[in-house]
Amino acid sequence: MVTPSVPSTLPPLPAPKKRRRGVPIAIRALINAKTLLGAGVFYALFVALVVGLLYPTMTKLNLDAYLTSTGVASLVGAKLTHASSFAAIIGLELYGAFYGLIFGSIIGYIAGAALPATIENGTLDLALARPISRTRYYSELWLSALFASVLTSLATMFAVWLSTLVVKNAQIDWTWLTITQLIEFAFFVFAVGVGLLFGSCMNSSRGAGGAAVGIIFLGYVMNALGSLTNKLNWLLKIEPYYYTPGVQALVQHNFTYWHPWVLIGVGLLCALCGMIIFNRRDLPMA
Amino acid sequence: MIAIAQQKERPAIEISDLHKSYGNVQAVKDITMNIAHGEIFGFLGPNGAGKTTTIRCMLDLIRPTAGSIRILGYDAQRERQQVHRQIGYLPGDVRLPGDMTGKQVISYFADLQGLEPVRLKELVARFDVELKGLLKSYSKGMRQKIGIVLAFMCNPALLILDEPTSGLDPLMQKTFNEFLLEERARGKTIFMSSHIMSDVEKVCQRVAVIRNGQLVAVEAVEALREKAGQRVTVEFGDPVATEELARIPGIRNVTCADGTYHFTISGSMDALIKALSRHEVRRLLAEEAPLEEVFLKFYEEQPAKLAPELSR
Repeated sequence: MVTPSVPSTLPPLPAPKKRRRGVPIAIRALINAKTLLGAGVFYALFVALVVGLLYPTMTKLNLDAYLTSTGVASLVGAKLTHASSFAAIIGLELYGAFYGLIFGSIIGYIAGAALPATIENGTLDLALARPISRTRYYSELWLSALFASVLTSLATMFAVWLSTLVVKNAQIDWTWLTITQLIEFAFFVFAVGVGLLFGSCMNSSRGAGGAAVGIIFLGYVMNALGSLTNKLNWLLKIEPYYYTPGVQALVQHNFTYWHPWVLIGVGLLCALCGMIIFNRRDLPMA
Repeated sequence: MIAIAQQKERPAIEISDLHKSYGNVQAVKDITMNIAHGEIFGFLGPNGAGKTTTIRCMLDLIRPTAGSIRILGYDAQRERQQVHRQIGYLPGDVRLPGDMTGKQVISYFADLQGLEPVRLKELVARFDVELKGLLKSYSKGMRQKIGIVLAFMCNPALLILDEPTSGLDPLMQKTFNEFLLEERARGKTIFMSSHIMSDVEKVCQRVAVIRNGQLVAVEAVEALREKAGQRVTVEFGDPVATEELARIPGIRNVTCADGTYHFTISGSMDALIKALSRHEVRRLLAEEAPLEEVFLKFYEEQPAKLAPELSR
């Protein structure tokens, strides 16, 4: 047996200096979500520009009767009395139920996948072996998903502004557009909460992200069915789109003010439940 | 100051009656052991014995079903932040995000530690670590070296290493073993699990062997070495009966091939030398028996059967 020759005592090394921590987990999670976020931003720009380019043709076609029909209302989750203005068209195409369905799904998937992705890539074990509490780890992931929501909201508003450059006399009320965006942000808070809840108890990023998207899609189906007939009206009360009156705010400049708070409340509750689960569970190996 | 002195008086790691169950499956049961400050402690056992489960309980990545763990005087569950400020951890399978470079991953974990990686340059040079490329292009050995850098870079007081030499080439294993001995000389405490018994033999002062979730032995390596004894090869010039050698105290496993005898002897060699002096000895070779045989006995046999044999 060869024993390496090493002195029996060596002087201790100096203690390392403290380092500013910042929010590295949140930043890393955002970087991981860049592809999905990019896709969302592209979609917002694409839809807004297409609507802007097609708006003159659409006004000539006189689609008012079609756009205010029950069928379209069930599809977009908003019943309008008139739909000839640019605000109404952009509202139906961008801020209807599709906004929650598409952007909400993206945000829900990002939030759902954030935690299990760190189990899969092995960084969760290494991170939690450092002086980082599980609550802090989870909160930074929450923060990153909310920041992704802010980025998506800003990108959407930017896309609408771009489309107004194409359309003459767009007559968008920017205050109400901001309110509309805030209402949609409430949907994001809900999507983030649902995503984090699934992420806290699942080990697969695709599974957790997919489950969050599934809930958002199920809500859309309930919204569509509930809008079709009075007999299924009750479905509306238990799905998230009912509490997201974005189109109504943008076009009619009014909405039930407490509706978005329902989504925020449910979203926060789901996220808190996820935090409790994450704090209590055994973490699997990568 | 008093608190620090009290911490030093206690063992660096105290594990008491640790149990961890998954439903009806008991992953570890009734583990009790203490590791002193400045000790390199080896934790051995076959695959699935419960080594990683014990380590993950120590790090609060999984929660014990029963029992307690204190590290550097702090409760590993309730005071995990204080514990984790002072430890470095190397997982058994180092997995890192492929889209990050070595430099980025080191910066990320230094941020999480909240401390500057004061030993980064030294470790990178010593272990010949590549930092520029994306981690997805790294070999298993290079990822392991990054894991070693991550564990040691902030100069922690206590290291918890799960199979640290896994994936390293023999030269790097030797470098790592020397590095561990230097760390011990600097007063660090090291708890390491391993499959590679020769590594454990070279660097550890004490070892614990776990089998089927239960500790079957906690012994000083020197004591095990004495139990393992020496392997002796003797070539005689005259005929010698095997029974004559087997009767010598401390001798076991006597075999003979072409007039050359092989056996293992524990304890004093005086009786052997006296017995050999009655014969013509052409060649005599004595070397330390590898501890591997002792360890393997722990792995293979029931704890109850082992105890009397190993306490000889």
